[in-house]
Amino acid sequence: MPRLRNLHMTLRYQDDLRLFRSRYARAAVLALLVGGVLFPLSFKSEFWLSVLDYAGIAAIGAIGLNLLTGYTGQVSLGHAFFIGVGAYCAVFFGGHHHVNLLIWLGAAAVIGGLIGGLVGPFALRLRGSYLAIVSLGLVFLGLHVFRNWTQLTGGPGGTSVAPPLKLGPLDFTKLQIGNQVYSRNQSFFLLIWAIVGLTALVSKNIVRSRPGRAMQAIRDRDVAAEVVGVRLARYKIGAFVVSSALAAVAGALFGAYQQFVQPDNWSLFVSIQYIAIIIVGGIGSIYGSVLGALFVGAVPQLVDRYSKSIPFVAKTAVGSSGFHLSVFQLNQIIFGALIVLFLVLEPRGLAAVWQRLKTYLRAWPFSY
Amino acid sequence: MDGVSDLLEFREVSLRFGGVQALSHVSFIVANDELLAVIGPNGAGKTSIFNCLNGVYRPQQGSIRLEGTELIGRRPAAIAALGVARTFQNLALFTNLDVVDNLMLGRHHLMRTGFVSGALWWGRAKSEEVSHRRRCEEIIDLLELQPYRHARVGTLPYGIKKRIELARALCMDPKLLLLDEPVAGMNLEETEDTARYILEVRERLGISVILVEHDMRMVMDIADRVVVLDFGLVIATGAPAEVQSDPAVIAAYLGTPAEAVAGTGEHPAAAGGGAKAAAAASWWADR
Repeated sequence: MPRLRNLHMTLRYQDDLRLFRSRYARAAVLALLVGGVLFPLSFKSEFWLSVLDYAGIAAIGAIGLNLLTGYTGQVSLGHAFFIGVGAYCAVFFGGHHHVNLLIWLGAAAVIGGLIGGLVGPFALRLRGSYLAIVSLGLVFLGLHVFRNWTQLTGGPGGTSVAPPLKLGPLDFTKLQIGNQVYSRNQSFFLLIWAIVGLTALVSKNIVRSRPGRAMQAIRDRDVAAEVVGVRLARYKIGAFVVSSALAAVAGALFGAYQQFVQPDNWSLFVSIQYIAIIIVGGIGSIYGSVLGALFVGAVPQLVDRYSKSIPFVAKTAVGSSGFHLSVFQLNQIIFGALIVLFLVLEPRGLAAVWQRLKTYLRAWPFSY
Repeated sequence: MDGVSDLLEFREVSLRFGGVQALSHVSFIVANDELLAVIGPNGAGKTSIFNCLNGVYRPQQGSIRLEGTELIGRRPAAIAALGVARTFQNLALFTNLDVVDNLMLGRHHLMRTGFVSGALWWGRAKSEEVSHRRRCEEIIDLLELQPYRHARVGTLPYGIKKRIELARALCMDPKLLLLDEPVAGMNLEETEDTARYILEVRERLGISVILVEHDMRMVMDIADRVVVLDFGLVIATGAPAEVQSDPAVIAAYLGTPAEAVAGTGEHPAAAGGGAKAAAAASWWADR
């Protein structure tokens, strides 16, 4: 038997279930982990680090939305609301009560999940665009609450977010490993991307085991799913709970990283941005969500940075004058265009592009 | 047949949609290991029987008992757990999943992994995947689906999809299997293959089967008993040979002589215009 192990051959069902099936894949994952820790050290550009930090936060939220929309087929425009809930959990538990990093992150997940569980039952009665409309209402309800609950949110003007960022000996405002001190952006890079990795692993485990299969069955054919024994209520609500818990974690990290949040951070535009991420990255793909977040997360930052050299774009970040677009407007146009282009040209997103590239390279130099 | 050995008792079931009486006082029984065929012209209520049986529709009257347990009022998922499996007339597979995942969904009600243990991929989550996969592989072998294991179901041809749907139903380890037109749209060879699979399944797994089918040749060949429906009413029940010579059945398919003379197109077999029903009618005409 040992000689067979070098072959690409599945001998036991256990092997068929492995996440990374070939040695190369496992080596690549290890390299990615080591690289991930070393990378921010050698990388000094604060601008690009902040782009990657925001992209990592978006990746966590996008994995959550993909579990709900991509895997369970429940289209939600309410994701921004749950992200906001998470951010205010960081304000309340971290900022006001100074609890430990794990506790305010955990509290955000639990409260986000609970509220998601309350919204979930709507999905039992509504489907498709009707559910999208109801979840859209959630965003506006949320905006109203966030603008008026001034003790917590600081009203329309916003509030600062300063939760503790220490975890035992690790201080994520200036991480120290050995005698090497990381900057704030570098430390956050490690914190955020460690959570991205954990989220991706947990989500992948969900989708490849019994609950995830049930979710996908509901997406593909709900009547048949029920007839084979899948309880729709359990898995639809479950998907809402997991999805909004992840959104809340993303929101809490967003607040902690940005140190200041205001209700307009959780507008409909943010929900659409997340829809764009999972469409660009790949509906029903975990790593697609991460790819999409990197791609879509980088766009507004780049537009912002290079707005001076783009024609017809105003030099100021907000407000347009005459013929000029604001940076915000340009971003909206770009997201709209991205969604349309990907839906028409590559509905399975960057994940499919990557898959094709892999197949091509494996067969290279032959076409098939 | 006495009540004890019966697997399913369908008694006086009536189902209405507004003013349409889909089923009226339908009664029949299915014995253990029996293959019961339900036939009738288009719109006679055959598929409605299935939908009542697995809880998709809720009949207004009557009782459906599986081994003495009342099924009316239960959710489809609960009925699946009691041992009723089904295939659909127009394929209801999970098209974006591969064959193994489709079959593993058949095992869903026998597995226990929830969100938390699934997310951790620890202990039971992992061992359950392996042990239930083993059963799926047995069904894959039985129905000769080996080449398609990891193919996305949506990409496979129609005949294979039909077989995958049968496999998914069998993976549920059912006591009662409902087959809704398993050979619809198949050529002669595929039909014979399917009939062979159905007989083999019965023999090897000892499952009772209710078969809804328009292919009369197949029905008469493999059914133990036949129930004939017309406009939601049972018009005949009996062995295939008895049913074939029943004047009421012949009238349902071909119309009564008076109707035939009047050339009425009112009857579902004619008005429905379905090729299958027409083929069934011509089969009766050839008798």
